[in-house]
Amino acid sequence: MRQLPVLMAGLTLSMSAFAASTDQWTLPVNTKKLDNGLTVIVSEDRSSPTVGVSVVYHVGMRLEPRNRTGFAHLFEHLMFQGTPNAPKGVFDTTITAGGGWNNGSTRPDFTNYIETAPASSLEPILWLEADRMKTLDFNPTTLKNQQDVVKEEIRVNVKNQPYGGFMWIDISQHAFQKWENNHDGYGSFEDLENASLDDVRAFHRDYYGPNNAVLAIAGDITPQQGFALAQKYFGAIPARPVPKGTDFSEPLNTAEKRLEQSDALAQVPAIAAAWKVPERGSRDQAPIAVLAELLGGGDASLFYQGLVKGREIALNVDTMFGLTSPWEYNGPTLMTVFALYKPDSSADAVLKAMDEEIAKIAKDGVDDATLKRVKTRMLADWNNKLESFVNRADTMAKLQVLWGDANVVNKIPGWIEGVTSSDIQRAVKTYLVPTNRTVIDRKPAAMIDAAKTAAAPNNAPAGATNQGARNE
Amino acid sequence: MNKLMLALAIALAFAPAAHSADVATPKGMPAYGQEKSIPAPKIARQTLPNGLTVWVVPRDGLPRVDYVLAVRGAGFAADSATQSGFASMLAGMLNEGTAKRDSRAIAEAAQGMGGEVAAGPAADGITLFANALASQAPAMMNLMAEIARQPSFPENEVALAKANALQALRVSETQPGFRAERAIKKAVYADHPYGRTDPTVESINAVTADMLRAEHAKRFRPDRALLVITGRISEAEAMKLAKAAFGDWKASGTALPDTPVVATGVKPARVLLKRDGSVQSTLRLGSPGIAASAADQIPLRLTSTILGGGFSSRINTNLREEKGYTYGASAGARMSRAGGMMVGGADVRNEVTGASLEEYFKEYKRIGSETVPAKEMDMNKRYVAGGYLLSNQLQRSVASTLAANWLVGLPPEFLGEYVPKIQKVTPEQVRTVAKKYFAPENQSIVVVGDPSKLDEQLKPYGAFTVTDK
Repeated sequence: MRQLPVLMAGLTLSMSAFAASTDQWTLPVNTKKLDNGLTVIVSEDRSSPTVGVSVVYHVGMRLEPRNRTGFAHLFEHLMFQGTPNAPKGVFDTTITAGGGWNNGSTRPDFTNYIETAPASSLEPILWLEADRMKTLDFNPTTLKNQQDVVKEEIRVNVKNQPYGGFMWIDISQHAFQKWENNHDGYGSFEDLENASLDDVRAFHRDYYGPNNAVLAIAGDITPQQGFALAQKYFGAIPARPVPKGTDFSEPLNTAEKRLEQSDALAQVPAIAAAWKVPERGSRDQAPIAVLAELLGGGDASLFYQGLVKGREIALNVDTMFGLTSPWEYNGPTLMTVFALYKPDSSADAVLKAMDEEIAKIAKDGVDDATLKRVKTRMLADWNNKLESFVNRADTMAKLQVLWGDANVVNKIPGWIEGVTSSDIQRAVKTYLVPTNRTVIDRKPAAMIDAAKTAAAPNNAPAGATNQGARNE
Repeated sequence: MNKLMLALAIALAFAPAAHSADVATPKGMPAYGQEKSIPAPKIARQTLPNGLTVWVVPRDGLPRVDYVLAVRGAGFAADSATQSGFASMLAGMLNEGTAKRDSRAIAEAAQGMGGEVAAGPAADGITLFANALASQAPAMMNLMAEIARQPSFPENEVALAKANALQALRVSETQPGFRAERAIKKAVYADHPYGRTDPTVESINAVTADMLRAEHAKRFRPDRALLVITGRISEAEAMKLAKAAFGDWKASGTALPDTPVVATGVKPARVLLKRDGSVQSTLRLGSPGIAASAADQIPLRLTSTILGGGFSSRINTNLREEKGYTYGASAGARMSRAGGMMVGGADVRNEVTGASLEEYFKEYKRIGSETVPAKEMDMNKRYVAGGYLLSNQLQRSVASTLAANWLVGLPPEFLGEYVPKIQKVTPEQVRTVAKKYFAPENQSIVVVGDPSKLDEQLKPYGAFTVTDK
């Protein structure tokens, strides 16, 4: 049944070709460092009278204090709670009244703040960003308010949801050895509640100076205008010493870890399988990115065709690189495959199926036609992601923070294009091996109970797996 | 980990507004710069002899083409009472096989063009979305036409889709938001088809390949379809591709009747959906609204923005920023072709369920009785205008907004006229429509949560029917 489609796919491919020259897209990247250490990036595009702005700080979950899990993210919320100059509410309403929109997010290696708006709002936006880089309004009311809001965020995204983020929160806790990499970045309620104004003050002082930040502006502005505005609003903010970070690198794992978790809210079982991936800048990074797309990128991927179709054991297959992307990390990270599987199947069957697909690649590599298709989609997706000015600014700012070079935005397509079948084989054999893998089988509580009841008459053990607790 | 995830998607420009609209501008903060004029997209239009409407919006920018094919009357509203959610299955099955290709060949072809093609259901239609690298424009047009016109609904794919849909329904039912939405739609729309857009075990089990083929033949008709083409392509080339791929498309059989108008006299309901052990209550407040083309739509859109459309909206400012009850709260109008509904919603911790409802009603009452201050009006109008500029930046959103407007009965000019119309809305109009559509006494309430934690708090709001569904 599967042979005909493969043949047809081959025919389709020969016609659809790869990215033609008309599909090329290079973005202007202009970079300047201010005297206080703030790196400024401007990418001009006059097609819309709007701008995207991103301020990225080189601090994330890995650097938060040990007894303050979730602090980097809580702090992100506090950045919207006002300053002595612009009290609570001013930040959001100024951007709203300027016709714009804003947000922020926290990841292991960075925290970003993004705005997009008509170009007429650019100066107020830069003023607001500079204002909160200088100082915050430290007060117990806003701290308490945002502790409550963050707890509601955790309830809505983790505690009140089936699966509760186990594919990124729990799996990191088991896959990594070092605290920086394996603690819960959302944090415990206890740690969140214990956060004090002194903590807020210290974190802002240590990590939120201009020399630990990158500002990017994309859209309706020239580089000269952008640099001048950056100087005008940020130039007088003094640089501040940044604490020396610890070494949070760690080697690949040498023994497979598997555990089972009980989920009180789920009705359908799920599995997450995660492998540690090469460090940023490794020659294996691009091959792993292409491999992830080959295995799990969309309906044409090997896992979708092999598990959802084909064997018909999974409902979906997603791949992820922590909470970021294959290009936006700067410390130990996982490539994770997440799938809901059918209650009449099993985690063993899903793993076996994945292993079979992986083994085929290890043995035979990837045929040219398939590799070309995968790369073509990746290049198109990369372009698509950069269409909006705010994503464009944000991507450049993040790449500057993580790679020290915003122009990586224009290099990634070439890196993808350069990946060969043997690169992928090498990456598979090095990283996608069982010894480097961590697996969580997350089962509905009712399924586990039923299995126990069924096993009881024979006095058999409930299973050799390590039963993990729900992460609450 | 985003700062706010909106609980509800609100039509077209979803927007925002203000408690601190009264906060003084900080010393030293620069004023907004000169506004640039708002360009209305230029839309080339043609109707093919078979009735297919084609709109082309050529653009520079990224090397991609976007196609949107909207088929009116093919959506949930066309599903029979016993086949709720059928349109979702019909849309999902389109790219699972055609007369020429199986599902894998379709997926691989799209991948090789650097794009994708898929269909999604809405109340008023089914919409196919396709995109590809600019060099692949002709190939993707052909692939989309093949999927729209010649889906084959293979038996094995139908069986697999049914099995997976049953499991997916089980997953959905564990999510409080899904149950809350299902219940509030039922409460507000009663027996109207807009009220039953979610599948049931029975409706999934009843699907057959023959049924899919028959419904596809009835629902997919060129005279009820709009094709929007945008991206790096000329008008002439786009029209040529459209004619080649769709020019010989013919309707078969009789067209389905139009969707009946939604009745608005529904009695407010009180429903508590049991979720033992829930650590939050998922709230929905709902009441009858209006069709997208109704006279009140413009002031109502602005009113929704002010009340519950973004970070700075009254509802979010109150429940999140002042009280800390929730990660995000919203409220606003949803408008369809034959009617609509007002919906407010938030996830809040158990202890503040009653207090949150109280704040919702307080805000609903306030916006219907006091006029909105000039500064807050201005902030929200500017937010709507900015949202227009920002969404026009993205070619996919231009194409999909044009198509979505068309599905609900709004003309292509609406895109360009929307902002100027919003700018004319007065505070009195806002108060009038707010009083009419957000009246507290008309709101149905749905709560998904743990009854043992909620009974006392819900008492002041009437007698709740406690149920599992």
